[in-house]
Amino acid sequence: MTINEVTAKKDPASAGAGAAVPVPERMTPGQRFRLRVRKIVGAREATLAGVVVLLVVYLSFASPYFLTAGNLTVVGRQIALALIISVGMTFVILIGGIDLSVGSTVALVSVLTGEFMVTIGIPPVLAVLFALLGGAAVGLINGVINAYVGIPSFVVTLGMLAVARGLSLGITSGSTISGFPPEFLNLGQGSALGVPIPVWVAVVIAIVAHLVLTRTTFGRHIYFVGSNEEAAKLSGIRVRRVKIAVFVISASLASVSGILETARLSVGQPAAGNGYELLAIGAAVIGGASLFGGVGGILGTALGTSLLLLIQNALILLGISAYWQQVFSGVIIVAAVALNMWRRQRK
Amino acid sequence: MTEPALISMRGIVKRYPGVTALRDVELSVRPGEVMALVGENGAGKSTLLKILAGAARADEGTIEVSGVVRDIQAPRDSQACGIAVIYQELNLANDLSVAENIYVGREIKNRFGLVDFRAMERGAAALLDSLGVTISPQQLVGDLNIALRQMVEIAKALLVDARIVVMDEPTSSLTEEEVETLLELVRKLRSNGVSVIYVSHRMREIYEIADRITVMRDGAVVGVCEASTTTPNDVVQMMVGRELVDLYGVRSVPLDETAAPALEVKSLSSGDLLHDVSFAVRPGEILVLAGLIGAGRSDAALAIFGAAKRSGGEILVSQKALALRTPTEAMDAGIGFVPEDRKHQGLFLGLPVRENISSASLRAISRLSIVSRRRDRDLAAHHSSQLGLRLSAIDVAAGTLSGGNQQKVVLARWLARKPRILILDEPTRGVDVGAKAEIYQLIRTIAAEGVAVLVISSELTEVLGIADRIVVMREGYGVGELNAADATEKRVMAMATGVEGDVS
Repeated sequence: MTINEVTAKKDPASAGAGAAVPVPERMTPGQRFRLRVRKIVGAREATLAGVVVLLVVYLSFASPYFLTAGNLTVVGRQIALALIISVGMTFVILIGGIDLSVGSTVALVSVLTGEFMVTIGIPPVLAVLFALLGGAAVGLINGVINAYVGIPSFVVTLGMLAVARGLSLGITSGSTISGFPPEFLNLGQGSALGVPIPVWVAVVIAIVAHLVLTRTTFGRHIYFVGSNEEAAKLSGIRVRRVKIAVFVISASLASVSGILETARLSVGQPAAGNGYELLAIGAAVIGGASLFGGVGGILGTALGTSLLLLIQNALILLGISAYWQQVFSGVIIVAAVALNMWRRQRK
Repeated sequence: MTEPALISMRGIVKRYPGVTALRDVELSVRPGEVMALVGENGAGKSTLLKILAGAARADEGTIEVSGVVRDIQAPRDSQACGIAVIYQELNLANDLSVAENIYVGREIKNRFGLVDFRAMERGAAALLDSLGVTISPQQLVGDLNIALRQMVEIAKALLVDARIVVMDEPTSSLTEEEVETLLELVRKLRSNGVSVIYVSHRMREIYEIADRITVMRDGAVVGVCEASTTTPNDVVQMMVGRELVDLYGVRSVPLDETAAPALEVKSLSSGDLLHDVSFAVRPGEILVLAGLIGAGRSDAALAIFGAAKRSGGEILVSQKALALRTPTEAMDAGIGFVPEDRKHQGLFLGLPVRENISSASLRAISRLSIVSRRRDRDLAAHHSSQLGLRLSAIDVAAGTLSGGNQQKVVLARWLARKPRILILDEPTRGVDVGAKAEIYQLIRTIAAEGVAVLVISSELTEVLGIADRIVVMREGYGVGELNAADATEKRVMAMATGVEGDVS
């Protein structure tokens, strides 16, 4: 027996060992359809989607208020605002980083919007733009320090969490700013075609983000950096640029959420966004993102965000004290990750 | 010798999904014997050791220790049988002292239940002394060199009265002198009646130390021979299973000796790592950088590819001096680079093979930054089939493939870019013989197509087997250049180790 024969025999086994779904080289349309269905049902997100649907069905029966237009609008807005932040967080987590400063960025942008629009009296459009730029700058600083100084993102953004919150408090001396023009407030409180404006914004952002991650070279680069930074560098990917970009994206999306939140609540306040970073991290992780990077997606994050906020809503509707809500959120985060790990091991 | 075996593994079978890793393997070691275990990567040595160490379970077969059948299910069962396994990657805590490491999990306590450091240091000193090693028990393990760390690991094994010490390629990262110390220690163990299973690729060491040699190939034992009545050539023959010449293939197109170099490196320097290294590769030529591990060959490759800083020297591509400050610039100059450490530098293990292959060619398969899924798939399909990877494998995570197939994925990534210069750092490390032959064939093919190929290799037979020309490096210097026709293992080794004159 020659060596080549030996390999030829061994090859199919070793190459196909991890194949979950065998792909025949030529398929009839029927086969292709079945393969598609199997892929969708077998996808990481399928279980989660099932859980979310079950929860919605359960709530529709358990509470007469759940399906009311009023409640759905409130939940929709909450999910939208959180989703915008979670999408940005997903980008950072995909490269194996973390952004703890998003909640404080929401506060900073909220305060800046108030200062620009109300205190100084800049035209609303410009005021929003400047506030967004301020928020993006937070991400730029995070990214540059992380990429060029090499300080882990956990530490950099932990520092920024304090700095941005402190700036918001310092600028306003701790007080809130109100007196926004109604056309601005419409951003957070108004609807288009019966759907709240923040929901439209979040849907567009989520779709664009999904396409960026799955279809563009930049998206591929993000997964490469998260999967193996050294290999990414040696494949000619400009790792530092990718890192800076994701932190700017994360901070910018937090800023957008901050603008919408300010408009929704009609006040610029330095206490806004408290704890949002944990909600966003939780949503991404429930959605299947790995904190080690390289694994995760927008669909999962959207489902994770929905699940967390639907449960909050459920607890309110079922009359359980708000004080207990965090206990549920915490349990769900850990349970979802445990479920994911279990599924992966079984494979 | 009719002495009963101290350890005897019989009829060991181990199956992994789709592959039989071990087929009816027998291994028996007598008391006070050094048994060498040899075989190419992928022959099944590591699996066999894992079973012995209790880190994996055999599907069939028995293990007898001193004539009694023992059921080894977990590492602690193995330890209870007196077996100590010293892995290539040592299990030591670098921030703790030598004594603490030796007594880890068996700390001596004083009457207050607190750790008695004095007693541990005394015990460690006595133990190290008996091995003839002079290390202070108070030293931090992190401050010791690799050879001394191995000594600590061996001392740790002896503390639990190991009767069988298994060493998995203990010398792969040692200097010549350190190897000598280690071999001395193995002799000492043997004279104390301890049996040693010694896994190595280095024939010279094996013949210096082993009493018998067990040769494995493709998951089976192909022979057990007495060291005194066989030659290294016999063993290599058994290991590979055919003439070595075939493995490396032969040049099919004559080399154009007059062609201008595709890559020329002049006085390349980089801090303490590289000093004044110069060489040139012509189109179609296979130049091998030979030398010991740590001689600066990989550093040179990284510097050429723009992935490490240079402090001096020039790199000329097609006779034009280029700055090559980043991998991107090197890639634009037509250079490809298959790094040494597949898992850490080469692959995106969790991502599909397809994305791994196209990762360096995204610009070519996308328009306005949007990746064409059809071209992505076509590119991966084309290059994986060219390399004998199965098409069905392209959507599978790269980490699930075998070593040989993983290496092909990294190769495919660079071939997809049609490089003019290809640098391959240890292209056959951790790859089984069959895949090795295919990789050599591939190197021959791309060289015949006019690509300038620079190979870094630590395996002498490989160096001599594929090189048109050999540049030897030592301690960051280029110390000599040989034509394939003039090169012998001895000459290359002498240059690599700095031993002048005749070396045996």
